[in-house]
Amino acid sequence: MVLDAPSVQRLVEAFRRLPGIGKRTAERLALHVLTAPADEAVLLSESVKEARAAITTCSRCGNLTDINPCAICSDDRRDAKTLCIVERPAGAMAIEKGGTYKGRYHVLHGVLNPLEGIGPSELRLDRLYKRIQDEGVREVIVATNATAEGEATAMYLSGQLDGDDVKVTRIAHGVPMGGGLEFADDATLTHALQGRRSV
Amino acid sequence: MHLRRLQCDGFRCLKAIDFSPGDGLTFLRGKNAQGKTSVLESILYAATSKSHRTNTERDLVGKDGDGFRIAVDTQGLERSVKLEAFWRQGIKRFKVNGVALERVSDILGHVSIILFSPEDTALVRGGASVRRAFMDMELSQLSPVYLNALQDYRKALRQRNELLRQPRVSRDLLEAWDPQLARAGSELITQRAAYLEELSELAQEAYRTLSDGEALRAAYKPDVEPGEDLDDLFRQSADNDIRRRQTTRGPHRDDITLTIEGQPARSHGSQGQQKTAALCLRLADLELVKRRNGEYPVLMLDEVFSELDAERVRRLFEYIDPEVQCIVTTTETNPAWNPTGRHATQFLMEAGQLRPI
Repeated sequence: MVLDAPSVQRLVEAFRRLPGIGKRTAERLALHVLTAPADEAVLLSESVKEARAAITTCSRCGNLTDINPCAICSDDRRDAKTLCIVERPAGAMAIEKGGTYKGRYHVLHGVLNPLEGIGPSELRLDRLYKRIQDEGVREVIVATNATAEGEATAMYLSGQLDGDDVKVTRIAHGVPMGGGLEFADDATLTHALQGRRSV
Repeated sequence: MHLRRLQCDGFRCLKAIDFSPGDGLTFLRGKNAQGKTSVLESILYAATSKSHRTNTERDLVGKDGDGFRIAVDTQGLERSVKLEAFWRQGIKRFKVNGVALERVSDILGHVSIILFSPEDTALVRGGASVRRAFMDMELSQLSPVYLNALQDYRKALRQRNELLRQPRVSRDLLEAWDPQLARAGSELITQRAAYLEELSELAQEAYRTLSDGEALRAAYKPDVEPGEDLDDLFRQSADNDIRRRQTTRGPHRDDITLTIEGQPARSHGSQGQQKTAALCLRLADLELVKRRNGEYPVLMLDEVFSELDAERVRRLFEYIDPEVQCIVTTTETNPAWNPTGRHATQFLMEAGQLRPI
């Protein structure tokens, strides 16, 4: 069978390594690439190669960018005194889409996870501390995910940073805007109730 | 709550089973190793995703098979629930009324089943972990908040313990896990204390009835007293934790103290007393669930006749409310043999097959 050919197997495995792709889908994608017009397959591989070569991580904030430093880091209109810490580039992109945040970002590329061997040095926190000093940051907003590891990372950072001139804040968690209470899961509602405030 | 129908296929030594018990008492008769316990186990598994005999689903698969399927129909006061459990080569899926669950643990709380089995003497004789597992299982079914807290606590505890196993431990890193551990841990302690207070009173009453006046006491023995600041405690015990390379304090060290006539049941109780005490914890739980949910769970008693003497059996069936649907196994195959004084629907189990008698 064609799926057994070594070159095809390599292709299937490459697709499988992509997030959200299982064995079935990987095979479907591979078969599509093999049956589509040849130039479409070439376009795909060229696009991957080119995009990969064109995009790097920003030397300052660690976000994905095509220029270095990235557009946000080099934009003087952004508030340099406020830094939003996210786990991954996707987190920064999500907040950018919101359109109201005017500060800058710092991407950790991970969170503390002892079971997976990820400690502070894997998150390259030295770079973060240096930035805070060099750029005169006054507020650090920790926007790591609301997972056990994200929470622990937020706690750790607040312990390391809070104090001398820097305020550390954590983004709020709770019921999504425009969403009915009945659609929120138990854990979210519990946290939303714990985090209630007077109106 | 009533079990209307059990269908299962590929489970342990069972042939394809289609079992509809009676509303009151049902006897599953059969010689040893015919599959009576497996029938109860399949019901428990569909309702809780756990077996009382193994933690490995592979063990639940019949010889030469590669998976199993269980369907359970139940009728409660307010709604009927159909549970489906499916396992094949490591893939596990649960459905409630046809809807697939995202997390297997979401199965808890839909259908309430209480099983008493010979393994339950471990509740009295075994280590603290057995009694913690009992509290955790029962409370997780009663309260989704408890289940969430338990999952959060376990996750944070695993991470914190992993840190403590590393050659050099930074205090700052360790303390990063404390607030969430404290938040979840306090919830566990509060709920366990309230649960045990209620359970103890009910267990005492059950034991008094079954044993003709003896006193059983079940008391919550928390490692950290309710109301104490856990966050502080974790910080204070950090040095000791680092030395011992594990989280030494917290609700993962909790226990239940069981005493009969003022003596520790574990060391001083006779075998009969220990078995009765374990049974009474289950019976107390039966009443407690009725109080909280407004209806009785399904009660399954495995080998209760060989576990208890005739007098206790008689008292047991005086104690169990006639409203309770009760499924009882026995090795006595003679349909006329019935020490309960109640009418029973009867089935005979032979070589994995079940038929009404």
